[in-house]
Amino acid sequence: MSSEKNNPRFSGASKYVLDDELAKIVDVSMTLEMPLLLKGEPGTGKTMLAHAIAESLQMPLIVLNVKSSMKLIEALYQYDTLTRLNDSRFGDSRRDVSNIESYIKMGKVGQAFTADKRTILLIDEIDKADTDFQDDMLDVLDQMQFDIIEIDKTVKAKHRPVIIITSNAKKDLSDPFLGRCNFHHIAFPDPDMMRMIVEVHFPKLDEELMSVCISTFYRLRELRGIEKKPATRELINWIRALKSDPDFRPKTLLQGRVPYLGILFKKSADLQQAVQQVVKSRG
Amino acid sequence: MFVDFFYTLRERGIPVTPTSFLRLQKAMNAGLVHSLDDFYTVARTILVKSERFFDTYDQIFAHHFENASLEDPTAVELTAIARAMLEEWLQNPEGMAEALGIDQEKLKKMTPEELIQYFLDRLKEQTEAHHGGNKWIGTGGTSPTGHSGIHPGGMRVGGASRNHSAIKVALERRFRDYSQEGPLTQSQMGEALKRLRRMAPTGPKDIVNIDKTIYETMRNAGEIDIIFDRRLADRLKVVLMIDNGGWSMDPYIDVVQTLFHYASSQFKDLKIYFFHNTIYSRVWSDPQRYYKPQDVDDFIRWDPETRFIIVGDANMAPYELVHPNGSIYIDAKQTGVSLERLKLLAGTFRHSVWLNPMSIQEWRYSRTTEIIRQVFPMFELTLDGLEKAVQFLTSAS
Repeated sequence: MSSEKNNPRFSGASKYVLDDELAKIVDVSMTLEMPLLLKGEPGTGKTMLAHAIAESLQMPLIVLNVKSSMKLIEALYQYDTLTRLNDSRFGDSRRDVSNIESYIKMGKVGQAFTADKRTILLIDEIDKADTDFQDDMLDVLDQMQFDIIEIDKTVKAKHRPVIIITSNAKKDLSDPFLGRCNFHHIAFPDPDMMRMIVEVHFPKLDEELMSVCISTFYRLRELRGIEKKPATRELINWIRALKSDPDFRPKTLLQGRVPYLGILFKKSADLQQAVQQVVKSRG
Repeated sequence: MFVDFFYTLRERGIPVTPTSFLRLQKAMNAGLVHSLDDFYTVARTILVKSERFFDTYDQIFAHHFENASLEDPTAVELTAIARAMLEEWLQNPEGMAEALGIDQEKLKKMTPEELIQYFLDRLKEQTEAHHGGNKWIGTGGTSPTGHSGIHPGGMRVGGASRNHSAIKVALERRFRDYSQEGPLTQSQMGEALKRLRRMAPTGPKDIVNIDKTIYETMRNAGEIDIIFDRRLADRLKVVLMIDNGGWSMDPYIDVVQTLFHYASSQFKDLKIYFFHNTIYSRVWSDPQRYYKPQDVDDFIRWDPETRFIIVGDANMAPYELVHPNGSIYIDAKQTGVSLERLKLLAGTFRHSVWLNPMSIQEWRYSRTTEIIRQVFPMFELTLDGLEKAVQFLTSAS
């Protein structure tokens, strides 16, 4: 499976700002060959981390977006009966109809197992699926193999993929599941960290704009009665909007006026609340 | 290595498993740990599986490796201790009764929640930590409650036992009792409510019906005729009415909220309304019961197959229920007799239940509860009651 040379250390990627702690944790999980479970508020970069690891280690990334109705088998493989039926009827394809295997398509997990080089498998938002899915998934990842019932064949992982699992912490995951993962909770970045993140996205951002944006952003996060607080993604988009507006001056923010609130607050009730409170604090 | 550290974590209520501890050893052998900082990160990611315990972990780590003093139990720790105590209680009810100074019969009647509350109250009575004293709770003392004490028959609170007399393994009440009668968690609620779903075909025809396809193909003398069906989806309509007014529902906010969150994430076609005490001519779809009123009379036109669930303690002044102008709100106009309204609703929706967060023993002390019980089938808002309610809602179809 993995040897020393294809187990390089992870140190961060061009668009992702990583603290030392997280780098260490990714390292440990790779060495111990355990899935890494990432929890945290939306917008703390759980999904981005997997992309960053893939980029920095030059490994292909395979993303499995979990849906609430998803069955484990969909993640593993699919038997394309319809194409086979079609081929048997018209016989104009180059596939061998009597060979079921040529109608088996690998799902995301299957792809990660059969890939020629070590891959990163991101299982995104696993909390959406039910507990059975989660537990069964862990069995597969534990054994690094699964069976294709139709052709009675076992698919074994050629290279053990680096597995990153994210959860929005809406539901608690089951104990056996947690027992088999390494765990990390990504806290919301503090202003200094956020400054670095913004710098990665806007390398030439004006210092004045930067500090006033960040302080306004954290002030807006503190507003009362907000259901969905603005996160990193919203901040980045907001700054992008401010930059592209030729009439915008950083002074506007200092005076307490906040343009483009709709980018930061995505729910209409939140937006109303925010507008009211911003106006009030100005007056 | 670090076995002490491991046990301290366990004592303080962090659920660390031996497997994960071995995994930590493996990580250290793999040369991943070069400094104390490394160890801190690596041990945490491997051993601690929830951010709820991160703070406790920090404290223990500081205590263990930097000789900082362990703080007195904080709120997080109290919960952890309470949980440990609960486990102990399940294994050793006699010892627990003795330790807390309540007789066993009374203790048996207490719900786990009440017990924890009682226990926390005791904890608060003591204002400073006692280690080796003979007061209430501490470590290594002669008090009945606390860990590693030497009081005969005393119980331990999440600590390793030094004296055998402290562990009486009387397995009278096992875990099953706890999960059946204890406070509802969201996943338990989910298990119970899941059976309510009713699958019906909806949406585009995009699923191949193999049986029909084979049949039709045969009929076609081998010319393939593929038959598509609609996908199955949950089409159950649910109306949830929540009594969210007044102090009488206050103690049940948690459990009702759990129900609310679960229901809103699970049922596609769910309408939630709020009322106070009982239902008059209007209910509201906003929890403040102000902005979005909804006329109850409109309900009659709805699908009678809708599952109609009312959550409330059904406990109020009798005139609120039976007097024509019973509403306790001045601005409510001619309201009509609320009881008639309830009967109308019960008549409209064949599948209706009333979930009552009060325990079944308390029902007969409230006259209005007794009256409403005759209109709506009433169930306790516990796992047990919920299962019965779901059974009722599905069987009547």
